[in-house]
Amino acid sequence: MDALSEGGIHVADLSRSFGAVQAVRGASFAAAPGRVTGLVGPNGAGKTTLLLMLASLLAPDRGSIRIGGVDPVTDPSGARRVLGWMPDALGAWPALTVHESVVTTARLHDFDRGRAATRAEELLELVGLRDLAAIPAKVLSRGQKQKLGLARALVHDPQVLLLDEPASGLDPEARVQLRVLLRRLAEQGRTVLISSHVLSELEEVVDDTVFLVAGTVVDAPAVQARAWRIRILSAGPVDEDGTASPPPAGLDPRRSVAAALGVAPESLGIDRGDVLAVFTDERDAAAGLARLIGQGVAVSAFAPAQSELEQAFLSLGDAPHDGGSIR
Amino acid sequence: MSASRVWTIARLELTQRLRSPGWYILLGVFALVLLIVTVLALMAFSFTPTAGSGAYSVIVMLVLLLVMLISPTLSGSSINGDREAATLASLQITLASTGDIMVGKLLAAIITGSAFLLVAVPFLVVSMLVGSVRPDVLLVSLLVLAAEIVIVAAIGVGWSGLVARPLFSVANSYLVVAALCLGTLLIFGLAGSVFRTDVEVRNRPWDAQGAPICDSWETHTVQQPRFDYVWGFLAANPFVVLADATPTTLSSFGYPNDMFGSVKLSVRTAQLPPQVQDYDACLQGEYTQQPSPKEILASTTPSWFVGLAIQIMIAGGLFAGAWARTRTPARRLPPGTRIA
Repeated sequence: MDALSEGGIHVADLSRSFGAVQAVRGASFAAAPGRVTGLVGPNGAGKTTLLLMLASLLAPDRGSIRIGGVDPVTDPSGARRVLGWMPDALGAWPALTVHESVVTTARLHDFDRGRAATRAEELLELVGLRDLAAIPAKVLSRGQKQKLGLARALVHDPQVLLLDEPASGLDPEARVQLRVLLRRLAEQGRTVLISSHVLSELEEVVDDTVFLVAGTVVDAPAVQARAWRIRILSAGPVDEDGTASPPPAGLDPRRSVAAALGVAPESLGIDRGDVLAVFTDERDAAAGLARLIGQGVAVSAFAPAQSELEQAFLSLGDAPHDGGSIR
Repeated sequence: MSASRVWTIARLELTQRLRSPGWYILLGVFALVLLIVTVLALMAFSFTPTAGSGAYSVIVMLVLLLVMLISPTLSGSSINGDREAATLASLQITLASTGDIMVGKLLAAIITGSAFLLVAVPFLVVSMLVGSVRPDVLLVSLLVLAAEIVIVAAIGVGWSGLVARPLFSVANSYLVVAALCLGTLLIFGLAGSVFRTDVEVRNRPWDAQGAPICDSWETHTVQQPRFDYVWGFLAANPFVVLADATPTTLSSFGYPNDMFGSVKLSVRTAQLPPQVQDYDACLQGEYTQQPSPKEILASTTPSWFVGLAIQIMIAGGLFAGAWARTRTPARRLPPGTRIA
């Protein structure tokens, strides 16, 4: 059995252009069953085009794809049996209710009437839309539409999930639920490929990351020196409830940190009352923390100033330096 | 292709339509227009004992006209409208094949058009009864109307799959309908006049006293348009199809009773090549050489058959083109389309 006939997603040398625009060029990667794989790249990197090809909607110019062992180009309906796709903006049938939308999708996956209704109820319960089942899909908020999109993608219990920006528009609670759900789906042995711009969110859910830049998969950038955020309790009396009150004006927290680390105070940054110090790697950061504690500095928080994924994203070739999704 | 998936897609389209108030307003206006025209037509034709048969033709023609005018708006954006709303991909990602989607959308458009026919049936039946029109005439009218609904639906769905913007696909569908209804008349008239041949005309010579000389002929040639070469264009006109398919009854004078019959007779006459024309002043107005309406109808090709075939070719071609364009995984996309 070669790699291509196994489960999961296998993409080799995939290319697709629209006229003169080469959206995806020679992309190769694999996403393994049982894992959540993140697809990360700047706007216009070809993420959506890549997902459309994986979802059997767009034919590649060149290269091969296997979704759960099926080639979506030669056997689209076979691929659709195993994959669930959630686009970044779900087209909702305006006059249908939430429940009917899921039932219709199930009917188109050859569920009979009874099973379709049961399945719709299960899924609306799962994504937290049960109370909204009877309202028209068009009045849903963006986040609720995302939930409906997820329910529809899961209708036929697919082994491979392709999710394009699933977290956009979700409130914090729904994001946590989505994260838990995706982890659970992966634990059941499914392959989950998820693209997102909210890198801090993505970092908490993905096992692997595929970086896509200008249509090509690039290696994860080597971890470089990064800034760490250090919060120091003010030198003055600590509040009764123990919260770290920002240091009073005129008292620069950088001085105590600089003294403990043995560097010049000017080499440290300051951001919203927290000190920013650059360490070359994790080992260096751990040593720095030990020195701070050893010197009796009251450290209340010590964390990377930027998520690792964000750091990697920003160090990608010509990545825009906003990191966020702007629509 | 699966019947259950086709029906699910057709139902999806219909449900969305049934839940919009605009649809009921449209049906109401349609019924109102029919009511007014039926009353007026029955009153207008009340001077003759066969009032109903004249009124009946008017009403059937009106129903055909309205159906041709309304259908493109309802079917002309079924695929690209879904593309714009990003709901087409939601269908394509399921097990529904391109065929399921195309046929489902066509079916929905046909059912929508048929709703108008259903509203028109009572008016047709009333005018049929009042005018003592034969039931087989009603049956044929309904069949032709249904066929035209299918054809216009296929044209609308076809353009909606070929053109990216709903506005343009609806406009294109209207252009095809206009080409069938008006363009065919125009082309028939113009093209027939372009192809002219010399036809021999014979007259009796006249003597000095102004009386015809009955033992000799004068011949000269005139150029005559050859409508018999281009009658196929006229045949493609939906109104001609309707008139030609309807069974004709001839009056005691040998002429058609109703409007359908008159249209049919003129269309069939166009099939005949120009013949040697004799103006025989000695026979005093008897033109025995000219075939009678009955002979013309019997000797010419039923043109509704040809007309429907031409229309089916146009509609089928557009529909097949749209089918190819809607296939997934998509290789070429109409410019400016999005998948999702």
